[in-house]
Amino acid sequence: MTAVAQEAAASTPDPGRRWGELGIAGVLVISLTVLAALYLISAPLIMLLTTAFRGPQDLLPFEPGAIWTFENLRAVYLDTKLYTSVIPNTLIFTAGSVSLTFVLAFTLAWLVERTDLPWRTTVFTIVLFPLLVPGVVLAIAWIFLLSPNTGWVNVALRGVLGLTGSGPLDIFSMGGMILAQGVGLVPFVFLLLSAALRSMNPSLEEASSASGASPLVTFLRVTLPVLRPGILAPLILATLVTLEQFEIPLVIGFPARINVFSTRIYFELNTDSDLPAYGKAAAVALPFLVGGILLLLLYNRAIRRAEHFVTVTGKGYRPSRFALGRWKLPAILFIVIYLAIAAVLPAVVLVWASLFGYGVPSWPTLGTASFAAYAGLFASGKFWGAVGNTFLVAGSSAAIVTVIGALLAWTILRTRLPGRFVLDFVSFMSLGIPSVIAGLAAMLLYLSLPIGLYGTVWVLVLAYSYRMAVASRLGRAALMQIHAELEEASYTAGGGWATTIRRIVLPLLAPSLVASFVLLFILGFREFTLPTILQSPDNTVLSVIMWQLFQSNQTAQAAAVGTMIVLFVVPVIFAMRRLLLAQDGKD
Amino acid sequence: MLKVESLVKVYASPDGTVPAVRGVSFTVPQGAFFTLLGPSGCGKTTTLRCVAGLEQPSGGTISIDGTVVADPARGIHVPAYRRDIGMVFQSYAIWPHMDVFGNVAYPLRVARKRPPRAEIRERVMEALRLVGMDAMAARSATKLSGGQQQRVAFARALVRHPKLLLLDEPLSNLDAKLREQMRFELQELVARVAITTLYVTHDQSEALAMSDNVAVMSDGIIVQSGPPRDVYTKPRDAFVAAFLGAANFLKAEVVQRTGAQSALVAIEGGSGRFSVTLPPGIAAGDHIEIVFRPEDAAIHFAPMGGDDLVQGLVERLSFQGGSTECYLRIGGTIVRAILHPAIETTNGAAAWLRIDPARCVVYAPGQGR
Ligand SMILES: Nc1ncnc2c1ncn2[C@@H]1O[C@H](COP(=O)(O)OP(=O)(O)OP(=O)(O)O)[C@@H](O)[C@H]1O
Ligand SMILES: [Mg+2]
Repeated sequence: MTAVAQEAAASTPDPGRRWGELGIAGVLVISLTVLAALYLISAPLIMLLTTAFRGPQDLLPFEPGAIWTFENLRAVYLDTKLYTSVIPNTLIFTAGSVSLTFVLAFTLAWLVERTDLPWRTTVFTIVLFPLLVPGVVLAIAWIFLLSPNTGWVNVALRGVLGLTGSGPLDIFSMGGMILAQGVGLVPFVFLLLSAALRSMNPSLEEASSASGASPLVTFLRVTLPVLRPGILAPLILATLVTLEQFEIPLVIGFPARINVFSTRIYFELNTDSDLPAYGKAAAVALPFLVGGILLLLLYNRAIRRAEHFVTVTGKGYRPSRFALGRWKLPAILFIVIYLAIAAVLPAVVLVWASLFGYGVPSWPTLGTASFAAYAGLFASGKFWGAVGNTFLVAGSSAAIVTVIGALLAWTILRTRLPGRFVLDFVSFMSLGIPSVIAGLAAMLLYLSLPIGLYGTVWVLVLAYSYRMAVASRLGRAALMQIHAELEEASYTAGGGWATTIRRIVLPLLAPSLVASFVLLFILGFREFTLPTILQSPDNTVLSVIMWQLFQSNQTAQAAAVGTMIVLFVVPVIFAMRRLLLAQDGKD
Repeated sequence: MLKVESLVKVYASPDGTVPAVRGVSFTVPQGAFFTLLGPSGCGKTTTLRCVAGLEQPSGGTISIDGTVVADPARGIHVPAYRRDIGMVFQSYAIWPHMDVFGNVAYPLRVARKRPPRAEIRERVMEALRLVGMDAMAARSATKLSGGQQQRVAFARALVRHPKLLLLDEPLSNLDAKLREQMRFELQELVARVAITTLYVTHDQSEALAMSDNVAVMSDGIIVQSGPPRDVYTKPRDAFVAAFLGAANFLKAEVVQRTGAQSALVAIEGGSGRFSVTLPPGIAAGDHIEIVFRPEDAAIHFAPMGGDDLVQGLVERLSFQGGSTECYLRIGGTIVRAILHPAIETTNGAAAWLRIDPARCVVYAPGQGR
C-alpha cells in the first residue's frame, strides 16, 4: 500500500506558481539563477563544441586566423592508436577497477550493515577515511609502496622470497592502475551500498527463510534481486567516476606509458614539442562527453526504478543481523588486511616519507628523522598561497553552487516556469561531464574571453561551479519533504515571495543546504583535475603543489603536503560520521 | 502440536543485556488458534520469532509436531528454512521484484522436493483463490494495496500446507475499517484450512474474537492464559483485567466474613454493602479492590433498599446510539456502566449501582499491579 500511495503522491502535480505571482524580487532572483546556471554549465560546453570544428589546431577558436574545419576530427579519429591503445586501455582500466571496487565495497558493506561483525562503527569510519583524501595523494602513496625498485612492499617481498633486482610487483602497469583506482573508489561505493543495504527490509529475507529457502538461495533469489536497483545506481556512478579518472592515469599511467581518454586530452594540451592543440583536445573530448552523459541517463533510469522499489514499510521493521559464527575470524582478517592496504599503509608511508625521505624503513634511518620538509614548506609563500587558494576555491564554489542549486530546485518544483524541465535536465547532466572536459572547456572559454580571468583563482571558482547536480538534487529531495502548503500558508498570511523564501523555505531547507555545502566543499577540496588543467603560478592549490613537488623529486616535501592534507581530513571524517550516524539513529 | 517450554531470550545490547522473554511456556494443540496478547515490548514478537527459528533462544525448548526444533542446552537449533512453517510478517515482506504469482510460488520453488511445474501452478492458484487474489496473479508486487499485500502474504504462508502458521500482528498495518473486514476473512480462512496457528497481537478485541486460547504477556512472561471468555471474565489480576477491556476498580473494606469464600464489604466513600466472593487469606478489616466490567454493572434510578447496592451520582452521559455510557461518581472513583439507550436521565441524578457477586473479581491489595 505504501508503495502505491507514495507513487500517487509523487505524481500529483503541485499547484505551482505562475510567473506573474512571484513579484519583482522573485522574477529577478529566479531569472538570475537560471541564467547563472545555464552559463556555468553550457557556456564552456558550447565553446568546446565550437573548438572541435575550428582550426588550425594551435589557435583558439575565435583568434584571428581561425577557420571552420574538420581537420581536428580527421587527425584524431583517423589515428589508429586511438583504437588500438586509448580506447582498449580506457575500457580495461574502467572495467577492472569497477569490478575490484565492487567486490571489495559490497563485501565490506554487507559485513558492516548486515552481520554481527564486532567494532562495526569503527570499521565504518576507517573505511570511509580515504574518501576525502585527494586521489593524487593516494596515487603517490601507492608509488611509495609499490614502485619496482624502492617500494616498501617490493623490498619486503624480495627479502622474504630471497629475490634480487627489482619487482616483483610494479605499480607502473595496468594492474597497478587498476589496483590503485579500484581500492581508491571503495569508500565512495561503500557509502552508497551500505545505505542501500541498510534501507532493505530484513523481513524480506526472513520471509524467504520461513518459506524454506536456505541462506544461499535466499541471498541469490531475494537479497540480490531486491538490492539490484540499489546496486545498479552505484555501479553506473562508479563507472562514470572511473571513466573520468585523471589522477591515477596521470600519476601512475604516464610513467607506465598507458594512455586513457582523460590523459590523452591532457597531453594534447601539454605536448612536449608543439603548442597546445586545442582543436584536437576538443575533438578527443566529444565521444568521451557523450559517453559520460549516456551513463548518466542510465543512472537516472536506475534510481527511478529504485524509487519504485521502495520496500521499507516502517512498521515491524527490525534490523536483524546475520550471525557470522565460524566465519567471524576470516571476516575480521579480511577487514584488517583491507584497512591496512587501503588506509593504514598509505598514511604511514606518507608520514614516514615526509620525515625520513623516500626510503625503506630500517633501524638506522630512525635516527635521521627530520622536520626539514615541514620547515621548508612552512617557510614557503607558495605553500601558504596554495592553502589559501584551496580553501577559497572550495569554499566559494561550494557556496555558489549550493545557493544556485537550491533556487533551481525551488524553481523546478514550485513554479510553472516554461522550460523548467530542460533546466532540471541540464543541471543534472552536469554530473556526466568529465572534469578533464570541464577543465578544457573552461580553459577555452576564459582564454577567449578578454576579461583577464584566466590564470586567477576566480577562474577555478567558476570552473568548479559547474557541478550543479549534487546541490539541486539534494535541494529537491528536501523540498519534496516540505509540503507546498507551508509556503502557501505564508502567502495567505501576507508574506511576499522574498519573505516566504527567507522566513519559511530557507530555514526549513537549512539542514540540506549545509549537507550540500559540506559535500561540495569536500569535492572542491579533493579536486585535482581542474586546477591541474587550469594551473598558473597564481592559482595553485594543495593537490597541485604536491604533484609539482613530487615531479621535481622533492619527495619529502611532497609527502609533507600529503600528510597535511590527511591531517586536515581526519576531523572532517569524524564530523561526517557523526552526521551520518545521527541521521540513521543506528548503533 | 506446538510446545514451548521455559523459553528465555536475552538480547545483548551495547549497554548490557535485555531479557526480552523470561520463561514462557505454552502448548498449542493440533488445529488450535493460540494468541499471544500483550502491550508493546512485552516479548510477543520475540517469542514468535524463536518459534519460527529466526531467533535463537537463550534457554528452554521448542518442539513442533513432536520434533524438538530448539534446545540451546543440547545445542539444537533447526534453522527457519528447515521448519515446516508459514509466516506472515507485520510488514508483509512481499518481494518487490516478483509478481503476485512469483511471491506465492516461491516456497514451492525453493522446496527441497520441488513439485513439477503444473502442480506448482495449481497449488499457487488454489492458494490465491483461497484469499480471493486469483485474478491478480500477474500483478506486480509493488502495485498492491495494503489489504492485497496482506492476502498475498497469507497465500504465500499457506501454499506449502505448513504444519504451523505464525502471524505477527498481520492486521496492524491496515486502517480501521479494512482491519475489521480482514479479521473476519482471516478467521474464516484459518478455520477453513484448519491449521495450527500462533497469533501475536496487542489488540484485545482481535485476540478475544479469534482465539481458542489467549495468553496475556507482560514484561517477558505469560501472566494468564486460557479460553478468551475465562480470561476476560476471571482476570487473574488488575493488569489482565484492564488490558482485556474496560474495567471498573472500586476500593472496599471487608466488614465481615460470611462464609469460607464469601464476605460482606463496604465501598470506600460510598454507602451500602456488597457481598462478594473472596480469595482465601483475607480477614475482616482488610482493604480490597473489586473489579468488574461496565456491562456487568446494573444501574437503577429509583431508590431501592437491600444489600449489594451502592449509591452514586451521574457524572457524565455519553450517548453512543446503540447504548448510553454512564459514568457514576462513587466517593472518589468514577465507575463506567452501560445503559439501554431508551433510558433517559440527566447529569447529577442519583443512581444505584448493583453488581452481581458472581461477575466481579476481588484482589487483595498489592495483587492488583
Ligand atoms: N534485536 C534486539 N536487540 C535488543 N533488544 C531487543 C531486540 N529485539 C527486541 N528487543 C527488546 O526485547 C523486548 C521485547 O521485544 P518484542 O519485539 O518481542 O516486543 P513485542 O511484544 O513484539 O512488542 P510490539 O507490540 O511493540 O511489537 C523489547 O524490550 C525490545 O526492546
Ligand atoms: Mg512485535
